[in-house]
Amino acid sequence: MNRYIDHIFVLPEDDANRQIANGFINDSNIIRRVIQVLSPAGGWTHVMDIFTKNHVKEMRKFDKQILVLLIDFDGRQDRLNNIRVQIPSELIDRVFILGVQSNPEQLKTSTHKSFEAIGEALAQDCSENNNQLWQHPLLIHNQPELERMTQSVKPFLFRQTS
Amino acid sequence: MLQRIYINNFRCLENFELTLKDIPSALLIGKNGVGKSAISYVLQVFQSVGRGINRVNQLIEPKDFSRGRSDVPIRFEIEVFLKYKLYKYILAFDLTEESTKIRVFEEQLLVAGNPIYSRKKAQINLEYISQNHEAQFSVDWYLVALPIMQEISQNDPLHIFRTWLDHMIILAPIPSLMTGESNQETLEPKRNASNIGEWLSGLLGRYPAAYREIDKYLREIMPDFEDFRNEIIGKNSKNLLVQFKVNDAYLNIDFEDLSDGEKCFFLCGVVLAATKFYELPLFCFWDEPDNYLSISEVGHFIVSLRRSFKNSGQILVTSHNSEAIQKFSDENTFFLDRKNHLEPTLIRPLSQISVSGDLINSLICGYIEL
Repeated sequence: MNRYIDHIFVLPEDDANRQIANGFINDSNIIRRVIQVLSPAGGWTHVMDIFTKNHVKEMRKFDKQILVLLIDFDGRQDRLNNIRVQIPSELIDRVFILGVQSNPEQLKTSTHKSFEAIGEALAQDCSENNNQLWQHPLLIHNQPELERMTQSVKPFLFRQTS
Repeated sequence: MLQRIYINNFRCLENFELTLKDIPSALLIGKNGVGKSAISYVLQVFQSVGRGINRVNQLIEPKDFSRGRSDVPIRFEIEVFLKYKLYKYILAFDLTEESTKIRVFEEQLLVAGNPIYSRKKAQINLEYISQNHEAQFSVDWYLVALPIMQEISQNDPLHIFRTWLDHMIILAPIPSLMTGESNQETLEPKRNASNIGEWLSGLLGRYPAAYREIDKYLREIMPDFEDFRNEIIGKNSKNLLVQFKVNDAYLNIDFEDLSDGEKCFFLCGVVLAATKFYELPLFCFWDEPDNYLSISEVGHFIVSLRRSFKNSGQILVTSHNSEAIQKFSDENTFFLDRKNHLEPTLIRPLSQISVSGDLINSLICGYIEL
């Protein structure tokens, strides 16, 4: 990963989120080598621990780095804000929090897709600007964060399609 | 696309079946000695047959019979979907007291359920010659028949299937043997990739646009990569040179002097180009592709391979590397296990195994058992 050009690290909460991220980065419209999925943290609180201990300092040093925290919202409406308040203000523009409203297993059951296939479909939605799966009841709450993120990453993450 | 491989009585693989239908990239994991590489040796038997090697003693050895049990035939079956048809090829070997040498016990090729030919011991029935008449002839028991069967045209199922087998790529690279020197051109890379120079020459000779793919991939990994060329160093002899450029300064390096990991980047570039240009969907088995790579490169390397094979062809890899393992998911990761050296190997996709908590920790702790 070239730290001096725009790049994204994805920090998944658990193995299910890791597999969703795998499906996302396997989409052929994603530019190679600008996104990397990290090892699962083992719970959303660990996501925050890892973010704080490992990434805050590096993100201050490398301003091209973007971090996506992939968590389960566990049906909690306050989760997003609970996490957001822990992100240093100077990094808030480069940290994005996405996840299933309950947990990925419910989304898997509801969509009849594997985690990887869910990730692929989400990437395809982004690439084709149709947001079909992103409109799913278990994902629709991500919309404001997704719009914020799209502006920031789309220019360098996806191949330009004519 | 390879849909199924069945193996019986070969090393630790007894009544063993791997189903890969609709899975363009898959991972085999499990402890040392569970038979991951043994699968590649079976695939190599098929590849060798596709490359015209038909003497049984060049394909199978007596020690390959599971636990020396030579009274039971070694049986291989492979099912491949090519050009909208399912090809099924069966090859079985036996070793009896009277024969003293391993011989072909059974052989059959079916296309879309219809037999092209079938064989019991020395007797071959050609079943596609005529709907009403079967042709029969005999072949040496110690020769596999597929390489010597007459094909009529490039659309002949025999040609299509043999070409697919021939072009299978089975890799367990040994970078120290990858010198970049070549004396001929080939589309048949060796298992240890020692003939990478010849493969590269063959690929570029046949598909010159493949250079663009390799170049693009190498530039992504090594921003100072400028180009590569095959320099003539003697009659029919070439040597691969790689050039790097920083600002206005150039550096030429013999391929042989690249690092082990850099040689693997090159190999990956050639594989990616091959997936794009070979006429038939390419099948690749890569034993531990993460070997020799820095940890920061492993993930990108695996993702590049998986993405390249997503729309065409198929790749099967093995790994013990956590970063590589995490680039696959439950439905395309197969766990192999066996209780001890006297019991056969079992296999199941992770999607059918209950893994509590973190997969890598479960593997480290040996919590997963079949």
